[in-house]
Amino acid sequence: MAIIQSFLDTLTQLAQESGFAGFFADGGWKNIIMILISFVFMYLAIGKGFEPLLLVPISFGMLLTNLPGAEMYHPEYWNYVEDFQEDAGTVNSHYIDYQRILEHGGLLDILYMGVKLQIYPPLIFLGIGAMTDFGPLIASPRSFLLGAAAQGGIFFTFVGAAILNMSAADCASIAIIGGADGPTSIYVSSQLLTTNSSNSVGTIALAAYTYMALVPIIQPPIMRALTTKKERSVVMGQLRPVSRLEKLIFPVLVTLIIALMIPSAAPLVGMLMFGNLLKESGCCDRLVKTAQNELMNIITIFLGVTVGATTQADKVISIDFGKVMLLGVVAFSLGTACGILLGKLMYIISGGKINPLIGSAGVSAVPMAARISQKVGQEEVPTNYLLMHAMGPNVAGVIGSAVAAGVLLAIVK
Amino acid sequence: MSDLQSMFAQLLSSNIPPDQTDLGGETIASVVITGISVVFMGLIILIILVTLYGKIFEAINKSAEAKAKAKAEAEAAAKAAQKKDEPKAAPAPAAAPVVEDGIEEEVVAAIMGALSAMYAGSGKKPVLKGVKAAKPRRSAWSAAGIMDNTRPF
Repeated sequence: MAIIQSFLDTLTQLAQESGFAGFFADGGWKNIIMILISFVFMYLAIGKGFEPLLLVPISFGMLLTNLPGAEMYHPEYWNYVEDFQEDAGTVNSHYIDYQRILEHGGLLDILYMGVKLQIYPPLIFLGIGAMTDFGPLIASPRSFLLGAAAQGGIFFTFVGAAILNMSAADCASIAIIGGADGPTSIYVSSQLLTTNSSNSVGTIALAAYTYMALVPIIQPPIMRALTTKKERSVVMGQLRPVSRLEKLIFPVLVTLIIALMIPSAAPLVGMLMFGNLLKESGCCDRLVKTAQNELMNIITIFLGVTVGATTQADKVISIDFGKVMLLGVVAFSLGTACGILLGKLMYIISGGKINPLIGSAGVSAVPMAARISQKVGQEEVPTNYLLMHAMGPNVAGVIGSAVAAGVLLAIVK
Repeated sequence: MSDLQSMFAQLLSSNIPPDQTDLGGETIASVVITGISVVFMGLIILIILVTLYGKIFEAINKSAEAKAKAKAEAEAAAKAAQKKDEPKAAPAPAAAPVVEDGIEEEVVAAIMGALSAMYAGSGKKPVLKGVKAAKPRRSAWSAAGIMDNTRPF
């Protein structure tokens, strides 16, 4: 009898300590909803092909972090230690106890250090740089203007978020979604947001990647609404060939100018250009292949799964997340509109030689935004190939959004 | 103008704490104006520098091209002198490329772009006459066999 009692007691104890019991604890229902939301994102990624390389890790990170008792991620470890006294006697109000995280953190806590210490986004930029051909931008430097104009969406969305009385950190983190650049959004939000903020890095990343996947749906109506049939029908001339030496000088020049002008943009722009120099050097094939493939893939997995882990129930099942999604689409749309409007101005100034559709590619979703310019242009003139012309503003947008991120980080700190 | 300057100076010297809410109209306006101005300034500096060195390289490339062209012309003239009696063949007019069904226009554009890039600087003008999908050289079974044998390497 005693054996049966002991057996039953053990079973009861196991049941009470299991994750299932956690669902019935206070607030446990939120975890169930979050797990269901993670299934929705998995479906969107796998079934519908929405940015699967990122949404699959993010959604699985979301699943893992919402399993009661798994203890893979501890948001409380990422709270700032109030008024921490440093060795030199100075007070640091933004101190994170990394020693505690290393000793007691779960797997995702340890991996999340790469996000919080701003390691992963610049490494992703290294891979992007190793894959990017800046030739169209060098051949047509005026494309930089379109890349700059599309960043208008970031700053105008800052206004919208501020009107909704959000904190400066939330405003900047939401606004950067308008740059249509996932790693940049994560880079800014991981530096500015704390566990006390109304949003998390995960919710910002979710909104950014969701809208990046929806570029083919969001952009074309705005492009058609802001341009005339005549403007969309402009066939642009062929770009001049760019020599190897020009391509070699470009990354060094951009790094020097941008990093000296806005030092806080140096990690992103510097790594982007380092990757590009490796590619253009022609003598570092092994490093280029690693940056493009293995390193990029490893960092994508770490980044995705840990960013997903920060999407906890109290951050997603909230009105604030609704605001992020709403302002995110506003940011994206404004960025597209700003690019198109400057494209129209350039169309007028150039005497009708520039197709304003390439302006929308200034948001940096590479290469999707450029492909949309090509597609909408071909609706009017089937033999019109705008792709290479749109790649200029597209890669300029990557530099522009990194600069905009640096500006926001310089202002909000 | 002086108000704008003081706004810039104030914003750059004093930062906004991340936790601050209720930012106020002046702060918001200064963030927007400063942000857009700095992004444009940075990229305009790049436009100037990239255009400048682009012009320099274009000039260098043109002179190199002119030299190559002159050399080619001289060689052609020498050949023509040798073959005075041979009848001249009229250059064929460039026809639109014949594209096989199922091949996307983007692919054709990419091939044309690659050809132009390859011949750029050589003085030759490539003409794309047709695009058709290559037929597989070996059967699926034979390809699978080769894959199986070479995979370990």
